[in-house]
Amino acid sequence: MTVVVPIDFSERSDFAIRSAMSIAGDPKRLHIVHVLSPLDSISPGVLLGDVSDETRSSAVMKNMQTLAREQGASGADQEVLFGDPGLQIADYAKKINADLIVIPSHGYHGLKRLVLGSVAERVIRHAECSVLVLRRADAE
Amino acid sequence: MNDSSAFGSRTAYLVFGLAIFLNLSACHPLASVSIADESVPSAEGAGATAETSTIDSEQLPPVDPAVASPQGRSEGLVQSFEKWLDDKSGVAVQVIASVLFWEFTGRQDVTTAVEDLQISETELPQLVQQVSERLSASGQTPVAWNRELMQSNLNAEDLSRFEAAISSIVERLRPGVESLAEELNVEEANLTLTVPEGSMTPEAASLVAESLNSAYTVSPLRNLSIKFSDSESSSSSTSLQGIRSGIPIVVAWLAAGALFFTLRMGFINVRGFWHAIRVTAGRYDDPSDAGEVSHFQALSAALSATVGLGNIGGVAIAIGTGGPGATFWMIVAGFLGMSAKFAECTLGQKYREVRPDGRIMGGAMFYLSKGLAEMNLGALGKLLGVLFAVLCIGASFGGGNAFQVNQAISTVQNTFPVLDNVLAKFCVGVVMAILVGIVIIGGIRRIASTAEKIVPLMCGIYVAACLYILLRHSSEVPAAISLIMSEAFTPRAGYGGFLGVLILGFRRAAFSNEAGVGSAAIAHSAAKTDYPVREGIVALLEPFIDTVVVCTMTALVIVITGAYDLSNPMFAPYIIGNKGAALTSVAMRQEISWFPYVLSCAVLLFAYSTMISWSYYGERCWAYLFGDRTSLIYKCLFILCVVVGAMMNATNVLDLSDLMILGMAFPNVLGVVLLSGKLKRDLDDYWAKLKSGDLDREAESYRVN
Repeated sequence: MTVVVPIDFSERSDFAIRSAMSIAGDPKRLHIVHVLSPLDSISPGVLLGDVSDETRSSAVMKNMQTLAREQGASGADQEVLFGDPGLQIADYAKKINADLIVIPSHGYHGLKRLVLGSVAERVIRHAECSVLVLRRADAE
Repeated sequence: MNDSSAFGSRTAYLVFGLAIFLNLSACHPLASVSIADESVPSAEGAGATAETSTIDSEQLPPVDPAVASPQGRSEGLVQSFEKWLDDKSGVAVQVIASVLFWEFTGRQDVTTAVEDLQISETELPQLVQQVSERLSASGQTPVAWNRELMQSNLNAEDLSRFEAAISSIVERLRPGVESLAEELNVEEANLTLTVPEGSMTPEAASLVAESLNSAYTVSPLRNLSIKFSDSESSSSSTSLQGIRSGIPIVVAWLAAGALFFTLRMGFINVRGFWHAIRVTAGRYDDPSDAGEVSHFQALSAALSATVGLGNIGGVAIAIGTGGPGATFWMIVAGFLGMSAKFAECTLGQKYREVRPDGRIMGGAMFYLSKGLAEMNLGALGKLLGVLFAVLCIGASFGGGNAFQVNQAISTVQNTFPVLDNVLAKFCVGVVMAILVGIVIIGGIRRIASTAEKIVPLMCGIYVAACLYILLRHSSEVPAAISLIMSEAFTPRAGYGGFLGVLILGFRRAAFSNEAGVGSAAIAHSAAKTDYPVREGIVALLEPFIDTVVVCTMTALVIVITGAYDLSNPMFAPYIIGNKGAALTSVAMRQEISWFPYVLSCAVLLFAYSTMISWSYYGERCWAYLFGDRTSLIYKCLFILCVVVGAMMNATNVLDLSDLMILGMAFPNVLGVVLLSGKLKRDLDDYWAKLKSGDLDREAESYRVN
């Protein structure tokens, strides 16, 4: 089956990739995805430096390759998306006719989570395929 | 502070003075005043009128002991006035001065008499008495103290004689008022007179208030207003509202912190200076280092946040309220602040996070939470980090936003008086809000990046103009400098004493260069470097450029043009109203008549770039607390503050801004002091490498590659 695994480069991303690999079996059927927020317009890097969506994408790609290799998923497809994470992940999964999305339960905690809710919740709401939610080891 | 009983007698005399102005009726002024105050008998004074009919209307008579003796006058009145002098009330002086002026402009034949007058403190009461009686007899109506009117009515010589007479009265009574100020221990005071309804017309009331306000030259009294009591009572009251500054403790904190860092880091502000220049010039740049901008770009970005209205306007206010001595302390604060900046920016680099997309996240909130956690003070670190973030958001609304917009508008209003009304302020505020919104919400970078690039140019133009003014007055510069030095240690009375001036200088420097406040660490953490200490050394230059160069330029101009002088009616309203940038504009206009237009442009540009930069700092703190995705809320609030700041009163904005920015310093300095041990080790390592030439060799290898 085609599996999409969104990651945020936190520790749970490692576990998520391994889990997704064990379900997909073949790296070629695995799609690792990272969603970036839109570029701001006021930081020094953007105004004076050379930060752009391209530089950000390529940095993310490099990091994703390293992560994939470490977790035994070399050869998996890698995508960098821009926008709201929940919607982008769901839309991407629809686009490639994925069978499953494997996602950790949440990457935020504390105040941020209260305010933002969970990306996983949004994915569940918008995805058109099955979603596997990986519980945190230290879940409350 | 409300104490109507203590000022009751003053009230009595003041109302008497007001009645003089009004000249409500042809009869003796005292008879027209009904005062419930027991200290002044009312109708009895009427009997004195008959005695004054012998006064020659052509000139003021010499003081005739028989006529002038207290027994020949309304005893209560004279006693009240003497008690007033005992109370050291400066308002009495101005009443008298205005009366004399009235006489002066109304009756030019008084000229010769005034010049001969030996005005002493005991003769004053009699003089005023005689003048008032003659005025009431002649049916004169009051004229507000108006320089143009005086100039048109009098020739220069008479004018200067009159002014000499007035200033001698003022000088004689000044010590009394100043000791009053010291007793009351206030920084600023507002006096409100409540007079019986019907005792004067509203127009007369505003005329009197205006003339007293413009004539009043002795701080700390800032504002006099007249209100009408709405009850049937015919009594009057005065209230004096004193405002004490609540800021000093944080200023002391910042100053202590800066001094600590200077000593602990072994005067890095001096020994690192030359290296800072070389690094900024790019000698050690390596594009493959992690980061987003070069050293020079990081410095520019941080400078665009700090060079703002504080340098142009804040300095002017400081010198207006603290005297020229504040300049010296400002420069000292600038020097010491260099070390504080070094410390916080090095830490900002050291504890920054590199995100997966290569973006850098850094700032005080990071080094406070992570750095202190390394020292097993994690809970404290987290608390300080959050506190810092919250206060930084507040500061971004205050000093980084409202203050800038407020001062920018008052400067522009000064140059284009057509804008001097509430609607215009609102419109300009909305326009600036839109311009800011286009960039921070709309994402149109072009405007902001253009603005950021023009800022150094404008800075250069401003400094050049200041230098030009100084060169034109080059002969006065040494005197100005010695004035600054002497005022720094033994300030003239009325400026709050040595400590007051010192605190003021430090406060404005801190507000202007933000050293010790922690905000610049956010910008500098984005620099491309592998050595945190290197970026800290670059950051040293910021307080130097901001305070020791730009602020000092402004200060020297203000001192040389005498724009800090509250007794000069051209400048007084700006000092009193805390309209610093407008004051600088007026001061410079004397020298370069067209400069206010350039300054208005520069001011708008500085304000804009500071606002953009501070919106970045605030947004980063918001993101630290609530995550990136809620930034829009922050941005909308920021834009709202632009409009609110445009409409607010300048003094309120200044106080609020100071509070927030200086408040940030509290967690920041505490955290950096705790982390200073590690910092010193890192500095020593780096310095050793530098001295041994390793770093230069490394830099060579980048260039070769």
